[in-house]
Amino acid sequence: MSLLQVQNVSRHFGSLIAVNGVTLTVEPGELRAVIGPNGAGKTTFFNLISGFFPPTAGKILFAGQDITALPPHKRVIMGMARTFQITEIFPELNVRENLRIPVEIASGLRLRPWLSKSADARIRERVAELMELGGLTEKADRLVGELSHGDQRATEIMMSLALRPRLLLLDEPTAGMGDQETYDISRLIRRLHKDQGLTIVLIEHDMRVVFNLADRIMVLAEGAVLAEGTPDDIANSEVVQAAYLGKAAA
Amino acid sequence: MTQLLLFNVFNGLIVGAFYALMALGLSLILNLSGVINFAHGGFLAIGAYLAYSLIPYVGFWGALLIAPILTAMIGLLVERFLIRRLYQRDPLYSLLLTFGLAYILEDGTRMIWGAQSLPYVIPDWLTSPLSSEYFFLTGYRLFMVVLVAVAVGALFYILSRTRLGMRIRAGTADLETVSVLGVNVRLLRNLNFGLGIYLAGLAGVLAAGMLGLDPTIGSTLIMPSFVAIIVGGLGSLPGTLLGGLLIGVVSGITTVYFPSASEAVMYVMMGVVLLVRPRGLLGEEGRLQ
Amino acid sequence: MSALTRQRLSLALIWLALLTMPYWMNAVGGYTELGTRVLVLGLAAMALNFLLGFTGVLSFGHAAYFGLGAYGAGMAIKYLAPSTPLAIVIGVVLGTLAGAIIGALIVKLRGVYFAMVTIAFAQVFFFIAIRWNAVTGGDDGLTGWHRHALDLGFGKIDILNNDKAFYYLVLVLFAIAVGLMALLLRSPFGRTLLAIRENERRARFLGLPIEQHIWLSFVISCLFASLAGTLFALLSNFIDPHALHWSQSGNFVIMAVLGGMRSFWGPLVGAAIFVVLQDYVSSHTANWMSIIGLFFVLVVMFFPRGVLGMLRRKAKS
Repeated sequence: MSLLQVQNVSRHFGSLIAVNGVTLTVEPGELRAVIGPNGAGKTTFFNLISGFFPPTAGKILFAGQDITALPPHKRVIMGMARTFQITEIFPELNVRENLRIPVEIASGLRLRPWLSKSADARIRERVAELMELGGLTEKADRLVGELSHGDQRATEIMMSLALRPRLLLLDEPTAGMGDQETYDISRLIRRLHKDQGLTIVLIEHDMRVVFNLADRIMVLAEGAVLAEGTPDDIANSEVVQAAYLGKAAA
Repeated sequence: MTQLLLFNVFNGLIVGAFYALMALGLSLILNLSGVINFAHGGFLAIGAYLAYSLIPYVGFWGALLIAPILTAMIGLLVERFLIRRLYQRDPLYSLLLTFGLAYILEDGTRMIWGAQSLPYVIPDWLTSPLSSEYFFLTGYRLFMVVLVAVAVGALFYILSRTRLGMRIRAGTADLETVSVLGVNVRLLRNLNFGLGIYLAGLAGVLAAGMLGLDPTIGSTLIMPSFVAIIVGGLGSLPGTLLGGLLIGVVSGITTVYFPSASEAVMYVMMGVVLLVRPRGLLGEEGRLQ
Repeated sequence: MSALTRQRLSLALIWLALLTMPYWMNAVGGYTELGTRVLVLGLAAMALNFLLGFTGVLSFGHAAYFGLGAYGAGMAIKYLAPSTPLAIVIGVVLGTLAGAIIGALIVKLRGVYFAMVTIAFAQVFFFIAIRWNAVTGGDDGLTGWHRHALDLGFGKIDILNNDKAFYYLVLVLFAIAVGLMALLLRSPFGRTLLAIRENERRARFLGLPIEQHIWLSFVISCLFASLAGTLFALLSNFIDPHALHWSQSGNFVIMAVLGGMRSFWGPLVGAAIFVVLQDYVSSHTANWMSIIGLFFVLVVMFFPRGVLGMLRRKAKS
């Protein structure tokens, strides 16, 4: 069964049609990239999947269940986690606390007014594991707001991972990063995909990252699907080249 | 009974007009600058007392013209030297600042004009009833309704037709874009604050003739103005106007049947509105977050 | 000195000062009742700060729950039974219940709008207290009752005539309330509140039902504020509508800000400064309102981080 099925989804803002009848199917274990020129509706599309706002038309299924009308936090509980284009973290808490919060939520402890020693130990262990995986162990006690952009992004990704998601949505994970940071984040994403077998959908501007990582690519333009296929298909597609070059020339 | 009801509905309408006038000023400031001006009632009192002191020299009409302008000038100064410094900070701070100002203004009027209520002279021909059957229809009351209507009409005209007004509306919708387009946002907020305070001053000059003049006149009117904004709808000036009139009339009607609940009823109404329609009657979607 | 030692040391100092307060209050020109008032209002400010500083929700109407606690306690003794514990329980239930209902109406609002609605709602209870003369005593306040000695079964503690004894009763309840709040803030639930304060969007997309958590935080905060209210009424054996007025709400906020919103003990420090200042100013000048108002302005302009916020900054640099 497909993990995510987006069926003919549209979203209007007044007279503006941001997303127009987009269909997308993601299989378990897949790493799918969504690309497209600025204003193609990529982020709106992501917001529809994660439940930021409901679609004007169409249907979204997650693991076979209709989630079209579910609020974001219920989608998270079902196993869908996301990051944002502008990193969303808890700036005045340290890395450890930033990770601890989603770990506790994922363990069903969010309303607990106290913790047993053993539960506390389990949580610490899991937090340590996540910090290790994200390369953040040395920065455990630093406030996240004071970290470099790349480390903040890594923290955000690990926070999402702490939820043990079945699907991870990454909105431009390397936006605004230098070469070294881009490389580090790409490696982290690859590790999550290959080693942990995580299903990932990502929006990305950096074509090196996309062609490096993605199993399949979907191209959006003006709110609609322009092309879909393997990285090779997309690289050789004339329609896509025309869209990108056309934009670049304009 | 009908007459009593009519009397109270009409009374409620007038009081509601004050609430609306005051709430419109509050709304202007809140929408553009995100500041809840707790001192609005204090400014209203200043307007009323300035008019009181001016009447012997320039007469009622002169005071009606000058007092609100003087009040607005004080408002411009307060914005320029105090409130402006807080726009970048958590709204908590501007709230606390205006809270302190409300104390200072109320106490200040008490220091200058005394704690006793003062006689407030309005022209004779305005005070006599127009009809013996509907004794409550005095000229002054009708005059107030008309004047508030004119003021509100003028405000909406300014907002929709003049350059300043259009900028205020554009800034309310999207301040960042407006500032990128080269509008002086600091000046805009300053003038907008002044405009809001002008309305408070005007409400003060009028209200004193009806409610009597004492230093707490402002603090009794401020809370209903908050309710007017919430009931009418956050971010919507027509909503604020509607909210003000509505709570005035509802509390007027309640006075007939259950006088001791005449104040509480507007808060109950607010609760109901929030329950059924959290953004208020005419509130814009998305203003809440 | 490590951060942890310093923290433990200051904690020990705070408790030592509170435990011995009735014995040095007179020496520094105060009186026991003033010390009790600091504790009571400090508790209210700390309860408010649970929302303000640790959930990031701008509540400006806490006089309502404080006042309801106070009226609940007074009316319980006057109309039900001459029992101090019963008065406290009834006051707390009343205030918490009101908080639960109003909280449910407003959890969807944010920022200044939340503030405005909380201020406005608080006024309902003010008007009820003023108009419902027969029961509340109206403008003049609720009189004709007083707190009663505590009956422990094996003996009585005379908290009515011995103001030191009453101080220690308040201190015990204060310690329990403050301990519970501290415990909550260190729990998984407490961390979700910090998460909401830090970044609501992130918290929502980590799977938190934000409204539910804000509501809970609101109710908890109202519970402790109403506990403070009951003690306030018992302290003076009298309660009037001023305790419900919006100016009282503002006072709680300024106490929290003055002491430091981001620190757990800040509001207590703020309350101590504010109460002493108010006591001094109102007995020396008729224009105390202007002075308090000016104080608000000065704190906001020059002291936004509060006393403990400043100290912490200094310690860091």
